[in-house]
Amino acid sequence: MDNSTSNMSEKLLQYLDGGLAGVEKENIEQQLATDPSLQAELESLKETREALKLYGLKQKVSGIHQQMMTELQTPVKKTGLKRRIIRYSMAAAASIILIAGGIFLYSFLSVSPGKVFSSNYRSYELSTMRDGDTQQVSSVEKAYREKDYTKAIEAYTPNPSTTIKDNFLAAMSYIELGNSKDAIELFKKVLEQDELQKSNFLKDESEYYLALSYIRNKEPKTALELLRKIKDNPNHLYHEKITSKLIRQVKMLKWR
Amino acid sequence: MEVIRNLPDQELVENLQTGKRMDETIKAIYRNHFESLGWYIMNNSGTRQDAEDVFQEVVVTFIDLVQKNKFRGESTVKTFLYSLNRHAWLNELKKRGRALAREEKYEKGKEQAEPDAGHLIADREGRSEIMKLVGSLGETCKKILLLFYYENLSMKEILKSMHYENEQVVRNKKYKCLKQLEQMLNEKPHLKSTLKSLLNG
Repeated sequence: MDNSTSNMSEKLLQYLDGGLAGVEKENIEQQLATDPSLQAELESLKETREALKLYGLKQKVSGIHQQMMTELQTPVKKTGLKRRIIRYSMAAAASIILIAGGIFLYSFLSVSPGKVFSSNYRSYELSTMRDGDTQQVSSVEKAYREKDYTKAIEAYTPNPSTTIKDNFLAAMSYIELGNSKDAIELFKKVLEQDELQKSNFLKDESEYYLALSYIRNKEPKTALELLRKIKDNPNHLYHEKITSKLIRQVKMLKWR
Repeated sequence: MEVIRNLPDQELVENLQTGKRMDETIKAIYRNHFESLGWYIMNNSGTRQDAEDVFQEVVVTFIDLVQKNKFRGESTVKTFLYSLNRHAWLNELKKRGRALAREEKYEKGKEQAEPDAGHLIADREGRSEIMKLVGSLGETCKKILLLFYYENLSMKEILKSMHYENEQVVRNKKYKCLKQLEQMLNEKPHLKSTLKSLLNG
């Protein structure tokens, strides 16, 4: 770059910067009008100036950008986190509901009168007899002790003088034979007898097995009333047997 | 500092043109538009970092266009920013080679309804290369040039802040620095079109 071009360049820049006036300005404008290379140089200077302006602007925005990202990220992150927590909680709650629902549905569908009955039923065991007692044993009791329930029913003759014990054992035999209907009738009879004689003999047992028979006979509503009565009475012999699970299962049977 | 939230478009544009309350105005743009524009990118296979980078670019481009009187208020600021943002991101996706065909198709259908801002924000890569070149200038050069061409300070004002003997020294320094940058830019002929579009829009 010799001195004259350098001078020209400087003048051109001054012109671009708006630092020329009067004759100097007019001269350069005349030259620009006829000299394409000078035009190109002016164009190039303008581009350079433009690059600087953009750089300055970018620097300015960049400083604010960092600041704003911190400002906007905090609430955004917070709500994001909050939203995420809510979303996860919802998902967790939904899963729990789904699982619980599944468990409930499974137990609801799998619960059946037969299952509830058999998972709660234990055969009634008579106390062991001493040798001398043999002659007092009725034929019903004898057959029951031998676990010959058909024989026990055959030996059973219902009449007003039939003992509470025989009635009860006949009822138990019906249960063992799967005849809930007749078992129910006989348990009711035992309870009536107890009522009449102001006795409690085999009362608790009858109530419990009656409830189980109701379950098996698909009368969960009646069974439930009886079960609640037993559960509410802490002195009842079978109080401990009535679990919340049993109550729940019977409730489910009600809705089936 | 005052926090401007609901800045009417007209006032916002005026502030950017005159440089009045520049910081608060830029902040208002961030507060009002970053979330929805960023959301668009993050919902179109972008990360939050992508959203931030593109938004910064959008803001720079927008201010530049406003200052060159190229934003004429034919659409709202919001629509205009959205359009810049969308184009910048679609270009970026194309560059990354994973533009979604569905997205492109959808966008094509929308083209007429919005101002065509495509060319205004094109060539992010070229711009970023130019920014790097300017950034690589010596600190003194950068300072003088920015004070003069960006901050629009007079030679007298620059002289005060730079401790030079006299204005002529500053003027000479500024001339040399600008020439240096011009040469650096001219050494990269592929940046010519980017520079031209910067200048002429």
